[in-house]
Amino acid sequence: MKRVLIVDDAATVRMYYRLILEEAGYLVVEAVNGVEAMEKSLRESFDLYIVDINMPKQDGYGFLRELRGRDELRQAPALMVSTEAADHDRKRAYAAGANLYLVKPVKPQELLVNCRLLLGEVRP
Amino acid sequence: MPIVKKAPAASRDQDERELQRDCASLVLQLADGDPTTRRWAAKDLVGCPDVSAALIGRLRQERDPSVREIILTALTQRADAQAVAALVECLRSEDVSLRNEAIEAMKTLPDEVAPIMGGLLGDADPDVRIFAVNVLESLRHELVEQWLKEVIERDPHVNVCATAVDLLGEVGTSYSREALEKLKERFPDEPYIRFAADIALKRICSN
Repeated sequence: MKRVLIVDDAATVRMYYRLILEEAGYLVVEAVNGVEAMEKSLRESFDLYIVDINMPKQDGYGFLRELRGRDELRQAPALMVSTEAADHDRKRAYAAGANLYLVKPVKPQELLVNCRLLLGEVRP
Repeated sequence: MPIVKKAPAASRDQDERELQRDCASLVLQLADGDPTTRRWAAKDLVGCPDVSAALIGRLRQERDPSVREIILTALTQRADAQAVAALVECLRSEDVSLRNEAIEAMKTLPDEVAPIMGGLLGDADPDVRIFAVNVLESLRHELVEQWLKEVIERDPHVNVCATAVDLLGEVGTSYSREALEKLKERFPDEPYIRFAADIALKRICSN
């Protein structure tokens, strides 16, 4: 079973993603900010990260930069999902290490397709 | 010849005050090359009159997170109109950390933030409106639910409403029930809004 770490400070958002991903057969773990996400990443391995940008303590950019700075974690695919829709937000996300960028609110099918894409389960 | 042992100079790492502490000197020290000096200056400036502008000026260019934290704390302690305006300005920053730090600081100033909340929630920039809703998250103010209800009734931007409905799931009461039902009708094609509104309604009903 593929393991997905959801990193978002909004509890309802985490519940929403969890519901969609668990129904699709993924194992879901949650973190409320970048600091907690990094702690969990160092303890257990994940096949995919779904990361918000605006979070207290450590934002999504900071988390992805730290993730990409670690040899053992740099290859894990990351989907960044944010309310911020400007081109420069997208560019910053990719520069920080995101593999794909989605703008909230995300529809279930959109989330699943992009997760499967990053997990190599479907072809682009 | 006797050997005179020199007392070791205090290490800069020890974070000790070494410089003048009058207000004018402290303002100058905010621009010092050494972050320890800048940190102490920001800390000590809390007691000086009319220095919010100097603190804000430094905040806009400060890159050291520890100095930034002290400046934000100093602004929060001062809590004058200029300091609050500076925190609001941080909400427009492209620097995510600074923005988040300002949101956290504003949460601690309910009486100062309340008079400007209406303006923030009506800002032309939806991102600023989202950050204003984030401020409401743990703002101890009696109008929090009313502000959130107004957001989900009126704001045209789906993500501003989504942020507000997330929070109503935590603080909402029966006062917001009808607005939550109507929100689902306003955004019929957004599964997330339906999901979040239903979660909030369920929590309200169970309380």
